[in-house]
Amino acid sequence: MTVPQRSVLASVLDRCRAKQPNQPTILQALLTVQEELGHVPLDAVGQIARTLEVTEADVAGVLSYYPDLRTKPPGRHVIRICMGESCAANHCGRVLRELQEQLRADVGETTSGDRFTLETVYCVGNCAVSPSVVIDDDLYGRILPSQVASLLAQYK
Amino acid sequence: MSRIRLFLPNDTSSRAAGANQLAEAWADRAEIELIRTSSHGAFFLEPMIERDTPDGRVAWFNVTPDDLPRILAGEGGTRVDQIPFLKQQTRFTFANFGVTQPLSLEEYRVHGGMKGLEAAGNMSPGAIIEELRISRLRGRGGAAFPVWTKWQVAQRAPADRKYVVANADEGDAGTYCDRMVMEGEPFRLIEGMLICARAIGADTGYIYCRNEYPAAAHALQAAIQKAEEAGLLESHGHRVRLEVVVGAGSYVVGEETALLESLEGRRGIVQARPPYPAEAGLYGRPTIVSNVLTFATVSTILARGGEWYASMGTERSRGTVVLQIGGRVKQPGLVEIPFGATLAEVLERFGGGMTPGSRLKAVQVGGPLGSLFPAAKLNIQVCYDVFVKAGAILGHGGIVVFDHETDMVELARHYTVFTAEESCGKCTPCRIGSIRSREILERIQAGRGTADDLALLTDLGETMKTASLCAFGGRAPYPVLTAIEHFGEEFRRLMT
Repeated sequence: MTVPQRSVLASVLDRCRAKQPNQPTILQALLTVQEELGHVPLDAVGQIARTLEVTEADVAGVLSYYPDLRTKPPGRHVIRICMGESCAANHCGRVLRELQEQLRADVGETTSGDRFTLETVYCVGNCAVSPSVVIDDDLYGRILPSQVASLLAQYK
Repeated sequence: MSRIRLFLPNDTSSRAAGANQLAEAWADRAEIELIRTSSHGAFFLEPMIERDTPDGRVAWFNVTPDDLPRILAGEGGTRVDQIPFLKQQTRFTFANFGVTQPLSLEEYRVHGGMKGLEAAGNMSPGAIIEELRISRLRGRGGAAFPVWTKWQVAQRAPADRKYVVANADEGDAGTYCDRMVMEGEPFRLIEGMLICARAIGADTGYIYCRNEYPAAAHALQAAIQKAEEAGLLESHGHRVRLEVVVGAGSYVVGEETALLESLEGRRGIVQARPPYPAEAGLYGRPTIVSNVLTFATVSTILARGGEWYASMGTERSRGTVVLQIGGRVKQPGLVEIPFGATLAEVLERFGGGMTPGSRLKAVQVGGPLGSLFPAAKLNIQVCYDVFVKAGAILGHGGIVVFDHETDMVELARHYTVFTAEESCGKCTPCRIGSIRSREILERIQAGRGTADDLALLTDLGETMKTASLCAFGGRAPYPVLTAIEHFGEEFRRLMT
């Protein structure tokens, strides 16, 4: 961690402890850290464990369990393509292949220059307007492979 | 001149269909006032604009920004009460959807909201539970357990503190009714939870909302704030605290014991039952964990009476079922009807046929753990017991239609990838079985499979069904095994 990251982490953890003095939850603390730092650095585990008064194994266990918690910084934009059944029925596999080709990145990878990180998600509840692609906080429905290029162009 | 009021849904799927593009394009049109409502759930018609007329609301479908002149002139348009997809439904839980503004407590009350809570306020805890017994409501999350039994256990359990938890981890792909409730009528969920708090004697409620539903969490937080300001968050004269807790992307957390683990901040690992959460749940206290739709239904049952609710549906599945149609049909959307129609009837009446150029191959009901039905087997009644007897589940009411281009071996592999990723790892059959199933299917796909592999896959599936700790491992083999059962030729074709 960098020095600024350390100080952000300290203030985040103080807030978590103040919010739930009796029942600090590891998961909510990690989500708050991720919100502030963009990810949960592995070398922050010790400090988080000490603040919450739990073991490092407890923290590392929660960190590795939940798919949405990340230990590496993502690209500037995170693309999540929905692999839920309605999207699958509407051939989201073709949209995924187009994304992989355009980005030259596989699922879980970040493109060179850190522009995009490509991820999958199991259902965003947009099944009636599928297939779905989420870029950062923006949800797109009824996406065709032919629309992928213009979609990506909106995110620099 | 008074401005013309236009109603535009603000549901996540409405926005994905283009609702916000309309709002942006018309932002500086002084002659109109855009009112953002919930959605009817007829998503194939969205973005959809409505206007009040002397004959009731009139709607324009699949609207583009250029359609504004004809909407303002009142040209074209269809009366909302004449839209076949909606007209053929029997809506109670979703009666106000597409009509009201989600965060207006006043509109919620005008349209019958809070009547259930008012009724419950004049009833003893035992009488509330008795009303639910009469209604014969079964939990809507998937397990279909009688709601009143669970509430009675929690009510009778002595404890210094009890909890109400709304399971808003709607993880089953192909379902979105909980999301719609939370975004479109959050006060309905709050009302149901307050009724439960009153019945069991709880003072704290949590809504565990999945991370994939940011708009739902946001709407609920705002609604809780408004309910608080209106003095609604109380039971027996004591304050009831409600809080939204956001998850982090695990499917298994939808199982109630795993959900409680996650709510306490730990890994979302399934715990052996008993004790059931109603006896010893969150922080070891009696806890009711119920699905969002269950709480949303409770409000109407208390308002209209258990007998009224039990008068609809089939012998053992009373009331209405909320189905969510998705996949390759012309009319994907939300359907609320009494239990008892067949799957074929539902698809015919509401699905509107296949998207142009595609033919029906298979239908999956009940999310990623649900069984697959081939076109010839759709004549099955939509209710809990008939489905269970057929080795299938109704689950949370998701119906996904696959077309003739679907590769069933790849689809089977898709399910095993999902199961292997999402297995919590606590029990061996699920943790190992899901990965081995995926490997076998990948071997078959690569042309290196043999008939022994299919036998092994079936054997593995049977083991998972009987020996897994929770319904996740127990149900995971079904989509794979039903794919083999009904489309076996596609698997055998790849074998050496």
